Amino acid sequence: MERLERSFYSKTSMYSFFVILGLLLSMMVATDRFIHMDMALIGYAIASIIFAIGLTIRMSFWFYRTATNRVAKRSLKNLFTKERLIRNVRSIAITFVDNILLQKFIFKRGLYRGIQHLMISWGCLISFAITFGLTFGWMRFDLIDSETYQIVVFNIPTLKMAAHGVFAEIVYNGLNLGAIMVLIGVSMALARRLTNYDVKVTQRFEFDMLPLFILLAVTGTGLILTVLYTFFDGWMHHYMSLIHQVTVVIMLIYFPFGKLFHVPIRPLAAAVPMNYQEVAKIDSRNCKSCGEAYSNDDQIADVQAILGAQEFDLKLNDGTLLSDYCPRCRRRMRALKVMNMEAPQGDPYGPVNTNNGIHLPGFGQKRSESFYVSTEKKQAKEENNEPVSR
Amino acid sequence: MNKIMYLEFERCIGCRACQAACRECGDHDAKERNYVDYIDFTESRQTFPMICMQCKDPACARVCPANAIQITEEGVVLSAMEEKCIGCRNCTFGCPFGIPKFDFEKNKMYKCDMCYDRTREGISPMCASVCPSDAIRFIDFDEMQELRRRRVQMNLIEGKKPMEGNKWEYVPEFFGVYSDS
Repeated sequence: MERLERSFYSKTSMYSFFVILGLLLSMMVATDRFIHMDMALIGYAIASIIFAIGLTIRMSFWFYRTATNRVAKRSLKNLFTKERLIRNVRSIAITFVDNILLQKFIFKRGLYRGIQHLMISWGCLISFAITFGLTFGWMRFDLIDSETYQIVVFNIPTLKMAAHGVFAEIVYNGLNLGAIMVLIGVSMALARRLTNYDVKVTQRFEFDMLPLFILLAVTGTGLILTVLYTFFDGWMHHYMSLIHQVTVVIMLIYFPFGKLFHVPIRPLAAAVPMNYQEVAKIDSRNCKSCGEAYSNDDQIADVQAILGAQEFDLKLNDGTLLSDYCPRCRRRMRALKVMNMEAPQGDPYGPVNTNNGIHLPGFGQKRSESFYVSTEKKQAKEENNEPVSR
Repeated sequence: MNKIMYLEFERCIGCRACQAACRECGDHDAKERNYVDYIDFTESRQTFPMICMQCKDPACARVCPANAIQITEEGVVLSAMEEKCIGCRNCTFGCPFGIPKFDFEKNKMYKCDMCYDRTREGISPMCASVCPSDAIRFIDFDEMQELRRRRVQMNLIEGKKPMEGNKWEYVPEFFGVYSDS
């Protein structure tokens, strides 16, 4: 394996090479050794291959990050553990249905945003499926007789349909349907981004607006194509199809490097119920100081490993790590440190003494004699018993 | 413009005006992102405000598996980007100061962003602008240095604590009076 890696410029280029090899192989199988290649789509095919390279590079770099790597590794390990089978299946199914199919969490952020995102995402997914299916030749239509079409998937004949049936019309107009959905969604998103002051706080043009304009250009030119061949007898159709191709190529090349890259990283959300907190808001690990449940062992182990691997372990004087404490205790520790009121000497886990020595006469009860020891004595005591940061 | 946030925990009176103001800030979605905690409720009623440190090298961003936490060019650490955040809460447990909050309903992390829309323009953040006891202040760097020097003079930073015999040496000149600034 290592020798194979060394024969390439880098690991990433090795992965890209194998991805392209796999793609070309699948194309070869699906198009019956390139006999049924659709030459009109060759531009899209090349752009899609560049898209695949870009995606591979970005995914490799993403998985190379310490944090991502750790979470992904734990997910893989848990995925193949027999005892966790039920939990794995349940969490993947729930994540898939709730987060990816229905996108419930976006609807909870607002109905408008939910509809907008559902439209864009499903429009894009439909369009991408059809585009890649056709450009790589994974799916094609064969004419059996003058009235019947057959869908051929990976060179295996599957469904037969009447050439002008309802189903056939839906299949032919899949791209139009997707384009209309994306158009509605993108218009809603653009309207929101242009008018909503809350969004404008952190919005950046090149990150948040540019992908919307690119999607708008792709869907706009694509829909104009349909309009041209249905109502204008294909007037200017050739030029328009070229413009459409240019926009699609730009979109495919932009995809792995901009906001749209959130699509391939989304499935990692299944790692949360799978590895960490199965049911929301139910914790099992207790804080070292106050004893309240705040997290679970696996997650804290991951956090400590990730920080440790980056020489950032946040270790305290007594050997505990900051992530052993609940967020509330951590805030308190910081405030006490700043106010010079750290844990009492001797017992780092005992109650904090918030009395800093100043007490206004006439308000408190008389203090015990030990409080009035001379300053020198007290200082000497402090030196050989340094307060422990906790 | 070189302004910083300056917290003086002893000054906090626990009115929670900063939290109410935080809820009103743009993009905060009516949820407060700062904290007012008791130091030890059984000992005293002393509270302290807590906001994000805006670390230069944030631990929350380092433990994020989705690479969702971004730092602006001004150095403000923003909440996790909504489209990337997968809701694992590693940031909450990685942060050494316990700052990031998590919204289970909307599946997103949110944290103090120093009211980015205001501080970007040099306006004081919501919490600092309402704090009645100046526990949270948004001041010039030089002014902060001056205040810190005074704290060192009072020996509150270096470690010596006032004792019964010499406590008056530590009482600040502005004790109870806020007119000198």
